[in-house]
Amino acid sequence: MPSSTSSSERLTAADRPGVAQPVPTREIPDRPWWPILFGALLLAVTLTGAWEWHWRGFGAVPGYRDDEAMWARQRRRIDAGAGDATVLVGSSRTLFDLQLRVWQRLSGRRPIQLAIVGTSPLSVLEDLANDPAFTGRLVIGIAPDIFFSGREYRGTFVRYAAKETPSQRVGKILSMHLVEPWFAFYDPDFALFPLLRRQAWPTRKGAPDHLQVRKILVMEADRNTHMWSKLETDANYRALARRIWAQEFNDPPPTAAKAAENRRTLDQQIARTAAAIAKLRARGIAMVFMRAPSAGEYLAYENRVYPRRTTWDVLLAKSGTPGIHFEDYPTLQGYDLPEWSHMTKASAEGYTKAFYGILERKYPLTGAAHW
Amino acid sequence: MVFNTLTFVVFFAIVVAVHSLPLAWTTRKINLLIASYIFYAAWNPPFILLLWISTIVDWYAAQGLVRARRQSSRHAWMLLSVTANLGMLLYFKYGAFLLQNFTVVMAAIGVNYRAPAMDIVLPVGISFYTFATMSYTLDVYLRRALPAKNFLDYALFVTFFPHLVAGPIMRPTELVPQFETPRRADRRQLAFGLGLMTLGLFNKVVLADTLLSGAAERVFDHGQIPGALDSWAGTLAFSGQIFCDFAGYSTTAIGAALCLGFKLPDNFRFPYAAVGFTDFWRRWHITLSSWLRDYLYIPLGGNRHGALRTHIALMTTMLLGGLWHGANWTFIAWGGLHGTYLVAERNLRARFQGFHPGPWALFGLGVLTYFFINVTWVFFRAKTFSTAWLVLRGMAGFNGGAEPILSTVFLASVAAIVPAIVAVHLYMRRRTLESVLARTPPLAIGVIWGLMAFAIIISQGSGNAFIYFQF
Repeated sequence: MPSSTSSSERLTAADRPGVAQPVPTREIPDRPWWPILFGALLLAVTLTGAWEWHWRGFGAVPGYRDDEAMWARQRRRIDAGAGDATVLVGSSRTLFDLQLRVWQRLSGRRPIQLAIVGTSPLSVLEDLANDPAFTGRLVIGIAPDIFFSGREYRGTFVRYAAKETPSQRVGKILSMHLVEPWFAFYDPDFALFPLLRRQAWPTRKGAPDHLQVRKILVMEADRNTHMWSKLETDANYRALARRIWAQEFNDPPPTAAKAAENRRTLDQQIARTAAAIAKLRARGIAMVFMRAPSAGEYLAYENRVYPRRTTWDVLLAKSGTPGIHFEDYPTLQGYDLPEWSHMTKASAEGYTKAFYGILERKYPLTGAAHW
Repeated sequence: MVFNTLTFVVFFAIVVAVHSLPLAWTTRKINLLIASYIFYAAWNPPFILLLWISTIVDWYAAQGLVRARRQSSRHAWMLLSVTANLGMLLYFKYGAFLLQNFTVVMAAIGVNYRAPAMDIVLPVGISFYTFATMSYTLDVYLRRALPAKNFLDYALFVTFFPHLVAGPIMRPTELVPQFETPRRADRRQLAFGLGLMTLGLFNKVVLADTLLSGAAERVFDHGQIPGALDSWAGTLAFSGQIFCDFAGYSTTAIGAALCLGFKLPDNFRFPYAAVGFTDFWRRWHITLSSWLRDYLYIPLGGNRHGALRTHIALMTTMLLGGLWHGANWTFIAWGGLHGTYLVAERNLRARFQGFHPGPWALFGLGVLTYFFINVTWVFFRAKTFSTAWLVLRGMAGFNGGAEPILSTVFLASVAAIVPAIVAVHLYMRRRTLESVLARTPPLAIGVIWGLMAFAIIISQGSGNAFIYFQF
């Protein structure tokens, strides 16, 4: 119930112009407050327990929250002595498809995962290019529809990391110990408003009514991420995930003006990337682009709107940087992508191994260094 | 540190526990002072220096005022305090704004002046604590109060964390005496304080952030032309959001202080039940409006020098009150509108002195007041005048053919929550929360309290800052 705590019966400063204000009065209603408190606590705990039970029944498992503070923790490692590590940037495919544990087993060192879902890695790339503490290696994941459109669903991460307050930093540490590893319901997809939003409301004609992206990942403490198993086991949920991606597949062709604007954006993305790459190369950073697999209607959409010849090939040529495209390597094909865009955990482990093998074979680092 | 974060929950639990230890009163006050500095430094540690400057300047200014024999010396000490505090405010809050406008004026007279980039970070709460410290010196200057007996009590008055960054804006006479005698919350105060904190956080996390902010954001921030329904829904959503956000903060602050055994004053009195704008300002952000009244409007002459001077004093006060909220002309327009309303209301009251409205007329006037308040919220929420005009045009039905912006869930949220807020305000117009609770069965209180706590938990708020932090 929205309210403040005063009334016309209790005088406030508004009733006493031009005088020293006295010590406020604050009467406590005559109620058994201690039993009421315990009753309320009991009810809240019981309801929360039932809520947790409900989401566990839905298949949810506790995982770390993929938020800006989580990303900032990994970003800080570069300035805190791990600047010579391999860093993975990109969007969700880089996050899902490259498994840190497998990579560590192969290279002897765990990479730093800085990929951000739904977000072009360009701002991260520019951030690293401007940070002399970064002296390691870079794998830059390219998801065509995100990178070449400059989409930044979570474009605030870099700025947040630079300006994170001590309070926010402590809050994340507390949450990572007291909340996130224990409660499956603590996930943005299960929060109150997203839940309300996806109820069967009558459609308002003409109003944007897109389905929001649902939970598809489970994240570990260092942002090592895998696909939520529900996408493998629940055909309906998998179909829903596909339907969500497919919302943009059937957009009408852009108008001439919009097409020209898209082209400009694409050119800018490539030009800014080339500039950032040049800075990094000047510091001796080894870099490789990665085009991870997509499948089904998603791949068809990407090939139609962002054909390789006018996007990926141009990016590699203009930046003078090598790339590994899944279509060029049989060992990078044939994985299980339940919703056409991301791999299952088992497939991601296989893909990481194959990708790392190609990386070491085709683009070996000098001396005894490994990717 | 923000109230609606896990960091604060842990911090507050520790503070309450330490404050409950059987330690000497001075030691417990020092603990509270240290805790308050930690609370503030958790945002940006260097800015604690500004807090210290404000604290020390006003401490010595008040001491100087007491020692001064001549009136000119008293003026000088008062001016030192006002200059130091307003100087900090001017630099940090209005520096870039002033420079930007200076550049525009220069350009208008043909001078091509290029202002240096001013990347100034606004220290959180500076508008609140500078007003609190100034009221200390001004009360001593106006001989309304004596200075604090010791520096610790005074420093704690300035810094006490529940009110530090977003009010209620405290007067020294409200809080300093509370630090003079040992205080610790008894069990009833502790439980009731926790109840108030739950209520405040429910307002902020569930109503303001979860259910209302989305509609306002889509209408005011997405650059689309809104039709009548979207314009009204966005504006009404903001009217609910700003109340729940700020009253939620105040209620949480009052509850937090009560858990430590201290009493803070009311800051809101169900403002959407106001009949008229004078009534509104007696119910909305009471500690700011009364501060402006006592230290600006009355010194400007108040209503003691005829109608014209009164109107000038009112407009000046409201324009500066608008500017207090932010360095943007839209806030000044917001204050100007309120000033205009107040002037118009005074004239109408003078003209219709014998008019005593019945219940329905009162209701109608209340609806009219709420309507005009919503018009002002457009300027408060819009970042630019062009956005404000777009929304106002939409509200007036002049954006025919505009594409719908809000989907049904947003409209339903606004339709469910905002009328409920207004209805609660109407019901509570002449009541207090405490008087209602005193008649409510304990079981019902417990169930509502538990449901509010559960709603806070499942909303999963991401620690969004309170709107008034930016002021």
